[in-house]
Amino acid sequence: MTRADKKLWLVLLFTILSVTMASAGTEEIGGDFTLTDHNNDTFRLSQLQGKLVLLSFGYTYCPDICPTELAKLAVVFDTLKGESDDLQGLFVSLDPDRDTPAVLSDYVGYFNSEIVGLTGSEKAVDQVARQYRVKYQRNDKAGGGYSIDHSANLYLIDQMGELVVVIPYGMPVEHIVDVVRGMLSVDG
Amino acid sequence: MVFRFFQPFLIAAIFVTTVDANSINPSVISAPGYGELAYKLPEIGSYQLPPLGEASNGEVLIAEGEQRTLYELFNGKYVLLAFIYSTCSDVNGCPLTSHVFYKIKSAMQRDQVLASRLKLISLSFDPEVDTPSVMGLYGNNFRYAGSAGEWQFVTTASQQSLDPILKSYNQVILRETDSSGRTHVGYSHVLRVFLIDPEKNIRNIYSVDFLHQDLIINDLKTILQQAQRSGETIKLATASQQTSRLSKPGDNKLGYELSDYVTDSQDLELRKGEKADLLSIANNPPLGLPAIPVPVDNPLSREKIELGRKLFYDRRLSLNDTFSCAMCHVPDQGFTSNELAMAVGIEGRSVRRNSPSVYNSAYSKLLFHDGREENLEQQAWGPLLANNEMANPSIGYVLNKIRQIDDYRGLFEAAFDGRSVSMETLGMALASYQRALVSADSPFDRWRYAGDETALSESAKRGFEIFTGKAGCVACHSIGERSALFMDDQLHNTGIGYRESMGFSPDKQPVTVAPGISIEIDRAIIDQVGEKPPTDVGRYEVTQNPHDRWKYKTPSLRNVDLTAPYMHNGSLSTLHEVVDFYDQGGVPNELLDPLIRPLGLSSQERSDLVDFMRSLTGSNVDTLVADAFNAPIGDVGEGDPSWVHGSEVEVR
Ligand code: HEC
Ligand code: HEC
Repeated sequence: MTRADKKLWLVLLFTILSVTMASAGTEEIGGDFTLTDHNNDTFRLSQLQGKLVLLSFGYTYCPDICPTELAKLAVVFDTLKGESDDLQGLFVSLDPDRDTPAVLSDYVGYFNSEIVGLTGSEKAVDQVARQYRVKYQRNDKAGGGYSIDHSANLYLIDQMGELVVVIPYGMPVEHIVDVVRGMLSVDG
Repeated sequence: MVFRFFQPFLIAAIFVTTVDANSINPSVISAPGYGELAYKLPEIGSYQLPPLGEASNGEVLIAEGEQRTLYELFNGKYVLLAFIYSTCSDVNGCPLTSHVFYKIKSAMQRDQVLASRLKLISLSFDPEVDTPSVMGLYGNNFRYAGSAGEWQFVTTASQQSLDPILKSYNQVILRETDSSGRTHVGYSHVLRVFLIDPEKNIRNIYSVDFLHQDLIINDLKTILQQAQRSGETIKLATASQQTSRLSKPGDNKLGYELSDYVTDSQDLELRKGEKADLLSIANNPPLGLPAIPVPVDNPLSREKIELGRKLFYDRRLSLNDTFSCAMCHVPDQGFTSNELAMAVGIEGRSVRRNSPSVYNSAYSKLLFHDGREENLEQQAWGPLLANNEMANPSIGYVLNKIRQIDDYRGLFEAAFDGRSVSMETLGMALASYQRALVSADSPFDRWRYAGDETALSESAKRGFEIFTGKAGCVACHSIGERSALFMDDQLHNTGIGYRESMGFSPDKQPVTVAPGISIEIDRAIIDQVGEKPPTDVGRYEVTQNPHDRWKYKTPSLRNVDLTAPYMHNGSLSTLHEVVDFYDQGGVPNELLDPLIRPLGLSSQERSDLVDFMRSLTGSNVDTLVADAFNAPIGDVGEGDPSWVHGSEVEVR
């Protein structure tokens, strides 16, 4: 509050509630979504209220980025296992054609049973990717098949369902652990 | 299912090696930055890193609607600047920068010097996706982990404001297209990270193969060591940067507008008081200032200065024992209030003007923004009696109260040849202390009056040329042959007052209500619930001459970097805003001073002008502030008359 004077504080008392609610516009990054989980059940992000959510994007045929990212998530869960029950990992597939709930169930299981794999119609997945500003693109390969280029940041959503931190792809796992721990101690 | 028994990392490795070679990342071989350095680094200080050219300026956004120049972000520090975009998936591109920056940030946790001298900046070249709020989410990483050292994530308002920056840093960024010509999700760009010194010289440029934390830290320590070794260089390095360590709020408020702001208390150690020899400072003003004018009937003495200092910080001088002069003229905020456009007095009562700094007020022939008072001796009674400042009911009330306070016993008598506290002696004592607050010997003074070419940065020298030439500032903010006061003891109409009385203000006003939460409020709503904007017609109120409407006193620009916000109503919050204001020709009105006219300055010229004003911070600021920290603040003592113990001040 660098330049505001007293009267602005007064105004605030009157307007803070209405304004903060109004500002939750559609353009904001993040937000609730509905997909299908790896047990083939309908899944809404908002059902995880009260938990700290680690949200990542990828696809199971992904050669390098996704497995390393998921492996990092698994380390985070292993490290913080004793400290909190309120953590939840999510892995949203950007390749719904190949990643059926069954395929996902096998895949995320390799890493950690705390991680839920999510998929859905192409449209539903695309909508979630847009919400979180995830960029991805299918590249057909010469000998058939395809890969998907995609951005691989990690999204941390707090107990109130609010996106509060994005950890850039490339940060080591120690950092992720530190941030998650920091958030648990602030909000929990 | 065998995989279950393996460590997760192993799985990752297996996945990578079993996938065919023309997969998405042809460069699965990761850059050296991800691992241990393969070669031995040269010894620190054993090599040279000559400047590679000047780092350019540009306009960026640090939060929604919060524009800054790159130079403002550099803030006199060593800087590592990287160009990134957040949706980048090339392992050896932006993620490599994140990784290496993270390693350096971790080193900052352990290394005080690194943490205080270096700053990391990631600037997005994808303004469309990377909006300020997205960048804020990146910044939040350090709200929860590793607070030491600064890593800022910034973006630009648009492609138009980005382009000149990319161009000046030679960053060619192409949107990738695939064989069918469709635009690709990514950008192709050549990774470059710039190491920039406080003089804004680029000292090294790292590409993928050289981006490694050990090398960068080695380079930085080498430059630091060499700067220290030659006194000249260090002067050069700090020339245009603020030279005060103590002039800042108790909390470091840098980045308060960002949602990743965490309370960052300044080092308490630093804030310990240390008494200064104010009399000799006053008798020998620092380089760049003339001798101070002292009234014949109030010659300076050690006792008077000491007594005035005690009074200035004494909260018991207010009606309810809470408010001292120093609570508006805050020593560590340039003897003004950095966070208040207009002053707030006792019990939160508003004052309609900005608290001016009292640095160098010894030289002012006119006091207050409208010049209504002419000497410091008289002036003090204004705030002591103003209902919205210190709120004492009468002069007699103040004098009687001081007579009854034990720790003043004998002090007036000793300072004034046996004369006790009176309207006159109290004013004289306060005046003596304020007179001693002279401050100069700034980088500008050493350059201009001691012929030290290295004292002033190149940009500040260019700024001086503009200040005295094209922009004509010197006509009112005077600079003499042997000394400079940066004021003319005159009053002028620049249009600031006119704008205010005419009620021209933006329809909406952004208000930062908590770190990172900024809301736009309709001016109409503010006007409804807030107090009416104060009427203020400036000098006219004193003279009743219609030609004097909206005239205000020219303030000195010495230490101006420390005395934000600016103008009589505090309506401009940065020096950049002040320069923009003058550049557009002030606010036209029938009585506008003819010297105020559109200037047509380029953005480089504007930033040079700001650099020049930043070079006016005196070298003794910290001495004066530490001396202030040493003063008692007037806690109510046992025998003191106070509402605290129900004992009334006797009014005789
Ligand atoms: C409530 C905040 C407040 C308090 C307390 C206060 N001042 Fe001020 N001071 C101001 C403001 C605001 C102005 C400008 C007023 C104007 O121009 O009308 C000012 C102006 C001055 C000036 C004139 C400076 C110049 O260059 O024109 C001096 C000197 C000064 N004050 C000294 C003091 C002293 C000494 C005390 C204590 C006895 C004191 N002030 C208490 C807010 C305050
Ligand atoms: C016509 C005389 C005049 C000229 C020319 C002029 N100024 Fe000023 N300056 C003033 C006056 C008068 C004020 C105070 C206005 C007010 O308080 O509303 C002021 C205030 C300022 C302030 C704010 C200081 C503070 O502590 O609040 C800065 C900074 C400043 N001027 C810089 C400049 C620069 C840079 C230029 C040249 C581009 C310039 N001035 C040209 C008369 C002038």
